[in-house]
Amino acid sequence: MPGRRTTLLQGTLDLLILKALSAGALHGLGVSRRIEQITRGTFVVQPGSLFPALHRLEEAGWLASDWQPSENNRRARYYTLTKAGRRQLGEETAEWNQIALAIALALEA
Amino acid sequence: MARLFSLWRNLVHRNRVERDLDEELHATLELLVDEKVRSGMRPEEARRAARLEMGGLESVKGEVRDVRAGAGVDTLLEDVRYSLRLFRRAPGFTAVAVLTLALGIGANAAIFGVVKSVLLDALPYADAGRLARVHGQLLDGTQGRVQLTAGMVRTIAARQRSFESLAAFASTRDGVYGGDDFARIVRIAWVEPGLFQTLGVPAALGRTFHDDDRAPGHVPASGAEVGPDTGRVVLLSHAAWQGLFAGDPGVVGRDVRVNGIPRTVIGVLPRDFVGPMGPADFYFAFDLGPALASGTNWLNLVGRLKPGTTHEAARREIAAVWASREHPEEFSSVGLSAVPLRDALVGATRTPLIVLLASAALVLLIACANLAAALLSRGLSRRKEFAVRMALGAGRRRLVRQLLTESTVLALAGGAAALLLAQSLLSLLRGVAKPVLPAHAEVSLDPGAVLVTAVLALCTGLAFGVVPALSVGRSDAQSALRDEARGASEGRRPRRLRGVLVAGQIALCASLLAGAGLLARSLWETAKAPLGFDADGVLTARFRLSTPDYPTLPARARFHEQLAERLRLLPGVEAVAIAHKIPTVDSRVAGFALEGAPKDAPQPFIVYASVSYDYFRTLRIPLRQGRTFDASDRTGGPGTAVISESLARRYWPKGDALGSRIRLGGDPMTVVGIVGDVRNDLARPGAEPMAYASHRQESTQRFCVLLRTHGDPLAFVRPLQREVAALDPSLPVQQAMTLRAAVGEGLAARRLPLMLVAAFSVLALLLASVGVYAMFASMAVAREREFGVRMALGSPASAIAGLMLRQGASWMAAGLLGGALGIVIVVRLLRGLLHGVSPFDPIALGGAVAILVGCATVALLVPVRRATRVDPVLALRAE
Repeated sequence: MPGRRTTLLQGTLDLLILKALSAGALHGLGVSRRIEQITRGTFVVQPGSLFPALHRLEEAGWLASDWQPSENNRRARYYTLTKAGRRQLGEETAEWNQIALAIALALEA
Repeated sequence: MARLFSLWRNLVHRNRVERDLDEELHATLELLVDEKVRSGMRPEEARRAARLEMGGLESVKGEVRDVRAGAGVDTLLEDVRYSLRLFRRAPGFTAVAVLTLALGIGANAAIFGVVKSVLLDALPYADAGRLARVHGQLLDGTQGRVQLTAGMVRTIAARQRSFESLAAFASTRDGVYGGDDFARIVRIAWVEPGLFQTLGVPAALGRTFHDDDRAPGHVPASGAEVGPDTGRVVLLSHAAWQGLFAGDPGVVGRDVRVNGIPRTVIGVLPRDFVGPMGPADFYFAFDLGPALASGTNWLNLVGRLKPGTTHEAARREIAAVWASREHPEEFSSVGLSAVPLRDALVGATRTPLIVLLASAALVLLIACANLAAALLSRGLSRRKEFAVRMALGAGRRRLVRQLLTESTVLALAGGAAALLLAQSLLSLLRGVAKPVLPAHAEVSLDPGAVLVTAVLALCTGLAFGVVPALSVGRSDAQSALRDEARGASEGRRPRRLRGVLVAGQIALCASLLAGAGLLARSLWETAKAPLGFDADGVLTARFRLSTPDYPTLPARARFHEQLAERLRLLPGVEAVAIAHKIPTVDSRVAGFALEGAPKDAPQPFIVYASVSYDYFRTLRIPLRQGRTFDASDRTGGPGTAVISESLARRYWPKGDALGSRIRLGGDPMTVVGIVGDVRNDLARPGAEPMAYASHRQESTQRFCVLLRTHGDPLAFVRPLQREVAALDPSLPVQQAMTLRAAVGEGLAARRLPLMLVAAFSVLALLLASVGVYAMFASMAVAREREFGVRMALGSPASAIAGLMLRQGASWMAAGLLGGALGIVIVVRLLRGLLHGVSPFDPIALGGAVAILVGCATVALLVPVRRATRVDPVLALRAE
């Protein structure tokens, strides 16, 4: 469902990227498709948001990147989670679950 | 750690990082295309769709760059580069802005450096705030500062309660250091032994004076020297120690010859010490006792207030002590007062300095207004650029940053140029102003002043550079774009702002020009008033006869005559005169009284000089009545005097001056002649009354020779030196120069503040003209399309011109109105500096206004001409 826009909560994008990469190395477009897939199309990340985020996370030391041949036999930049990134994913997941639970409780009350 | 590494990589391997990013994005695009082709799109279609989905590659790159470490540095560099490119593309604007800043900041920093050194810097004395000068003043107000007699000093010292210590000192005089083979002219200061203690200045080497060091029985008053010079010990200034003794650490205890008499050095004063009498090389101690009998005014008095006593209280007490003296009939025309030492030292330089500071500040204000105007026009003309950039997605913060960077780059460039300018201006001032400034002034660049002015300029830059451009809000962007396209005229707000700037500049400039005009008129009046003597073709030189060689008046007179005789025989010399002073330079005053007048009659001080027979002929001062001096005016004979016309007029209005008996401090003299008036104070256009005595009846060790010559007077310097050496080989010839030059030196001190104020006003006029022109021009440009429309609708060119002229004239009128207020302030400030010209002199003020209106009109007419030639078709079609 390209074109459908859901505003991402501040900080959600980082979590989604880390999660998307937790299963293995992906290039930029792959990350985007993977997020689309795991959120069942709820979130479509535009390149204008995706690439800055990837670079930011890499500079923070949570991602590493290297050039590998892609599925269409070209060179593409593949991102992988670093150890720090994995730790960060754990922390953010826990934090998110806490928030989600709190919000759910709040809405049910 | 990872961030540091990224920072390094981003900044140092910028190209590789950029290439990587470019490649990554292109690869992603290709992947996207492949994806779409796989899902069944035709290749071209797929590429189009992929491009749409990716969005602008460049904008994605920009976003990535912004999150990178070091993005701030990057943006800054980019902004600086962009600014420089902009400035290169608008060299006129840049030059005006930088030059304006440089002139405004530079001039201010330099002048403030001088002002601070004179008015604010600490005096080289301990706890200088408690030091005061006690001085006399004529009760009729004709003379602000009169020196004291020894008797006055004794009276004050004995009865006052305000000061913990008081010490008298004489003005410095020339002396000769060294012997037959090595002679130097030095400055000598005679002081009471307690002076250094009163000032709180210890010796840097050895000691200062004790009471035992006083020269017994000797009065060093230059007009009334009494007794043999018995000063046996001397103190050295630091400069003399360095210059004459090569900083010899064993100088204390050394024997030196000063004025032919051997003396012993007892100490050296600190490096930064300058006495209240001005710089001196040797200090001698005198005893007030033997001088008490003398009625000569030759002393200055400085005192240290007791803790807790105010200057005001001391002033009142001194006045009261003097008023209740034992013999109030003596010096009845003199009152005594006390002023803080700094005020006494700064004296007459305060007003010119404040005037200069005010002028520099006005220039700075004009410079700021100019800068504001330039930036304002630029900001307005860039509204479209900003609108476009906003429409393309530039953030407001990004734009502000860009503008801040631009203003800062501009301010930095201007500041650097200003520093260079201030430095060179100061080195210039140091040379020119040294003789005019108090001795304690150490002229240097003041970092505080540079900083304050730079910050002011920067704020101006920011306020006027950023604000107008930003009046394009995001919501505004569209209308700004449309505005331009539709060809509307400029809005009301920028126009009003422009009007304020024009009026302000004109007002400031009017004040400054009026001040310069008044000073120039005053100088012109004083310079063109006749001197009363013919200063051209005369050589002057000064001498000082030492007391041991020429102890008596006849000995000195004999030497004068021998020298004059020899010089008269030189080929090309027309006349030779001996006088104790050069006319207009260092005048001496004496109490004047008619013989037989009651003791308590007012006793004015008048200028007097002792001169040889040929003095009046040499200087071509006309004889009005009676005779000048001749051989009958012998030493020891009946005293005779020649007086000036104005003195004769004042005291003998019936014209019966000849034969009258007068007193000039000492014995009675008979008036034998009346001569033409001579100006002594070059600051005043009018001549003051004065009297002359014969050098045979009244003479001093210091004297000067005046040679009227055929041809260039300076050609006679060598022959003069030869003749003097033939008479007395140990007598140095000092300050040989033309009389015209000596007179000029006296005027130079008066000319300096005027020159500087004039320079400032030319600067201000230039800046203001450029500023006003720029403002009118930008107004014309901003309304060009409006004028095009008007013309297209049938408005004649004259109506357009009228429109602009009315606008310009109303701004100018507002400026002149403000200027009138400024002029009143300037006049109040300048009043004390003006002589021979009314503070509201119509020529000076009218001239200033005329020049200003002229310049502003020219600045207005050029854009008006341009506006009337607007081609309506072109104007409407443009953009």
